[in-house]
Amino acid sequence: MITMAYEALDFYDVDSLLSEEERMVRDMVRDWVDEEVIPNIENACREGVFPDEWRVALGEMGVLGAPLKGYGCPGLSYTAYGVICRELERGDSGLRSFASVQGSLAMYPIWDFGSEEQKNYYLPKMASGEWIGCFGLTEPDYGSNPGDMITKAEDKGDHYLLNGAKMWITNGTIAEVAVVWAKLDGVIRGFIVEKNDPGFSAPEMKGKHSLKASVTSELVFQDCKIPKDRMLPGVKGLRGPFSCLNNARFGISWGALGSAQACFDSAKDYAMSRIQFNHPIASYQLVQNKLAWMLREITKGQLLAYHLGQKKDAGVWIPEHISLAKMNNVDIALEIARVARDIHGANGILDEYPIMRHMANLESVKTYEGTHDIHNLIIGRHITGIQAFTREA
Amino acid sequence: MNIAVLLKQVPDTTAKIIISEGKVDENSVSKWSMSPYDEYALESGLQMKDANNGLLIAITCGPDRSKKMLTDAAAVGADTLIHISDEGVKDSTHTQQLLAAVIKKFDANVILCGKQAADTNGGSTGPGVAEILDAACVTLVSEVSFTDGKYITMRPSNNGTEKVSVDGISVFAFDKGTTELRRPNVRGIMMAKKKAIESMTSTDLGVDLSSSNVTLDSQTPPPEKAAGQKFDGAEHVPTVVSKLRNEANVI
Ligand SMILES: Cc1cc2nc3c(=O)[nH]c(=O)nc-3n(C[C@H](O)[C@H](O)[C@H](O)COP(=O)(O)OP(=O)(O)OC[C@H]3O[C@@H](n4cnc5c(N)ncnc54)[C@H](O)[C@@H]3O)c2cc1C
Repeated sequence: MITMAYEALDFYDVDSLLSEEERMVRDMVRDWVDEEVIPNIENACREGVFPDEWRVALGEMGVLGAPLKGYGCPGLSYTAYGVICRELERGDSGLRSFASVQGSLAMYPIWDFGSEEQKNYYLPKMASGEWIGCFGLTEPDYGSNPGDMITKAEDKGDHYLLNGAKMWITNGTIAEVAVVWAKLDGVIRGFIVEKNDPGFSAPEMKGKHSLKASVTSELVFQDCKIPKDRMLPGVKGLRGPFSCLNNARFGISWGALGSAQACFDSAKDYAMSRIQFNHPIASYQLVQNKLAWMLREITKGQLLAYHLGQKKDAGVWIPEHISLAKMNNVDIALEIARVARDIHGANGILDEYPIMRHMANLESVKTYEGTHDIHNLIIGRHITGIQAFTREA
Repeated sequence: MNIAVLLKQVPDTTAKIIISEGKVDENSVSKWSMSPYDEYALESGLQMKDANNGLLIAITCGPDRSKKMLTDAAAVGADTLIHISDEGVKDSTHTQQLLAAVIKKFDANVILCGKQAADTNGGSTGPGVAEILDAACVTLVSEVSFTDGKYITMRPSNNGTEKVSVDGISVFAFDKGTTELRRPNVRGIMMAKKKAIESMTSTDLGVDLSSSNVTLDSQTPPPEKAAGQKFDGAEHVPTVVSKLRNEANVI
């Protein structure tokens, strides 16, 4: 593994706008990623595991569920949460996925829609990392269109009975707690399913070429019996899962910049030291053009993410703001990874450099949490007032 | 038990140092960090604090920017943060007097610091402060603990290590310690943000900085590294071995 000191690209000094607390959190996570993640990530990918030490460390640093307050949660700003995602994803998108799912998709719905008992019981153990959570929305036949999901819950008097299957669920196999969205009398509701509930299993999906250090699973419910007090009382309909996705997507809009910055950093160092035709390739205009384009897109992405963070913290945002940032920043990160791969020549395909890993990871990031085009449709609807998701309606 | 830890903010080891007009250009330093040996001193101080229910006083003498390092120390557990302005400081004896004055003010029982700062590599702070305080001083230590009224410390000896016990007010200057400085966590960072930093000047401390017989005349960058030599083919093996043995002295 070739390691050089990481100098975060911050052309417009956007980080100088962070509070001192946000900067301290950034440095803490950045140091940890340098010391513990980057030296071990290739191995984790090769073995296809999410190292358990990382769960422990994230809990000890106290960054899980970053913007949530009370119940043992950190109570940081949304901007700080964004910064955490960015620093984690500079290490690997799989690591950031773990934190996104834990905080925004599993803890958040319990925090916002759970009963007092549910919050007190689950949140402290999830904030400390003791319990891993997952979020089951996507089904084999319902990805971009989760509203038509078929997983259902039946009220059996003293318990609920769940039947159906979820697919592509991050952390599924290693989770103690699954927040599962299912239809009860035709209405989407959130249910908390625990690892050992009868009729529940979470087999791991194998063979991914992307997010290899992240666990992805199916969730299978065959007459899965759960107690009555496991339904989230506070929300009905798609608003439940979509509120979670808003927060996770916000984090991704920052996180993708971490990958982009890692790729830029590596491409810059490589271009400066690689000699072809007697001179560093960085001295050629075509290569400089690529580096200048990367810097331009990263800087715009940073401003987008920072301003969105301010809006989120001030409570003056709409979901379309988040769609724009998620879509744009993942898109440029993926393209930056591809151009960085090109600058590295053949070396770009080796795991000595982080490029190809980030590139493959970002393919998932482009698809999950609303595909790139679904976000285009969300913004298109905002502009025109005409929904273009379906021909019906 | 009052534990004083002396900290200095230095250019990060990864930061590029630029010399302009015979002086290090501080404005060009992109990142300032706690001097690495001081980190070991701080970690040892935190362990001593935890074991003896002590109070940890983090002290730095430097420009305003060094306050950030005190907040970092608070995030891992420092209780009291003291910043001494380095205005008027002309040599290391001045720094030692200022540090000693704060140490006395807080009745510190034990003083921990790095064996040298990573920028100047002077190495005089620990012994100098001990001299002013009339305290015991053990240098190049890797760990310190407090048992039965004595400080027990480990340091290298001629051909191994030696265990040294001292009592009374003592200064320990750290080499690379046995435990890396602990990582902060969000809770620590949030508490650190609320912790006040007390700032003091030489006047507040009654230290006279008027006389000094040392001046720093100029600073120069290290010489450029000579270009590497390249050998291709097995026939050069003896030459390379001989160069490694006789010129580079590595084998
Ligand atoms: C690694 C990984 C982890 C994941 N983790 C989770 C998780 O933890 N929890 C969870 O619930 N889900 C998770 N997902 C699932 C993810 O959210 C879905 O893959 C995503 O919503 C897209 O669904 P799909 O894969 O079924 O694609 P589809 O919805 O079938 O989309 C395929 C293509 O069709 C396009 N398309 C679809 N509808 C339209 C339309 N109306 N107009 C134009 N184009 C359209 C899409 O943009 C896309 O290009 C994960 C996925 C991956 C890859």
